[in-house]
Amino acid sequence: MSMTPDTGLERDDDLLHRVVTELRRPVALDPALDTRVLDVIRSGGQRRPGRSMPLAGAALAAGVLLALLVGKAGAPAGTREVRLRLSAPSSSYVSVVGDFNDWNPAGTPLRPTGNPGVWTVELRLKPGRYHYAFLLDGRRWIRDPAEPPNAESDFGTPTSVLTVS
Amino acid sequence: MRPIRPIAVLMLLLLQASVLAAQDRRLGERLDPGTAAAVQRLVDSAHATGLPTEPLVQKALEGKTMGASAERIQEAVGALLDRLVHARDALGPDAGQAELTAGASALRAGLAPASLRQLHALRTGSSLAVPISVLTDLVVQGLPPDEATREVLDLARNGRSDDEFVALRRRMEERLRTTDSGAPP
Repeated sequence: MSMTPDTGLERDDDLLHRVVTELRRPVALDPALDTRVLDVIRSGGQRRPGRSMPLAGAALAAGVLLALLVGKAGAPAGTREVRLRLSAPSSSYVSVVGDFNDWNPAGTPLRPTGNPGVWTVELRLKPGRYHYAFLLDGRRWIRDPAEPPNAESDFGTPTSVLTVS
Repeated sequence: MRPIRPIAVLMLLLLQASVLAAQDRRLGERLDPGTAAAVQRLVDSAHATGLPTEPLVQKALEGKTMGASAERIQEAVGALLDRLVHARDALGPDAGQAELTAGASALRAGLAPASLRQLHALRTGSSLAVPISVLTDLVVQGLPPDEATREVLDLARNGRSDDEFVALRRRMEERLRTTDSGAPP
């Protein structure tokens, strides 16, 4: 599937990348730490109240910052938006199930479009080859007629192949 | 108590945690314990030889969602592992997960490993995942393997982009549809 890359997210991606790099940097520990830990253990494990609060607060703040950044960026780097559409006029619920959502039948529902009976969903996927099928009303599988059939449908249910370039 | 003892216990706990992290949580959550253990062994085998493990996990989850028997799931995952091994033989030890996954699909579709080797030789420095995927799709849709291989190799030889391989597939699909309907091409 040929899609236009998202160039507008580059600045956010760069910021996110720098934050992740910083969080992954190994922590330099005080060489005397082992001795202090052993002292605490020997003393029966009694902890002085309040000592761990600054560290916990910093960890919490880092987590919140990362969550905000990920939310702001909106999409993982290197992915493309792919739109799937299906005409299923007699269905009241349609989902797409594949190796992009761990084959979870409830993981990715489609929504009705303005055209009666036509359903759609947008996915963000990295370049690659994906196998999937649509599940109608939680009980009937059909493959996507708009994409090639999958030669690796091992379990008797036809599936399709989505190639993201 | 000698000071070494708490450190040894801590290291043991950390070691145990790292081993547990290598086990795929999804298998345990979705499959029965026997099937999860059997699939995990195949996943471990792939990991030990440097092959991608995610396609194997996905195959097992697909089988579970489709209501396949435990035996059928193990068989399908084992067969996929074999195809990944053969795909790496054809594409070389540096092939990435997407390339090996696409290569395994190509072999399943009946393409010869020689086609993958030719593609590998022609398109150095760029991922082969999309060209292999397009080649596989063309064969699955009815284009003779020799013709499909020739078309894809021509693009690879000329250094074309992934999008152009996808465009080739669209053109060929249209041609196949026209041929099937009996209309003049």
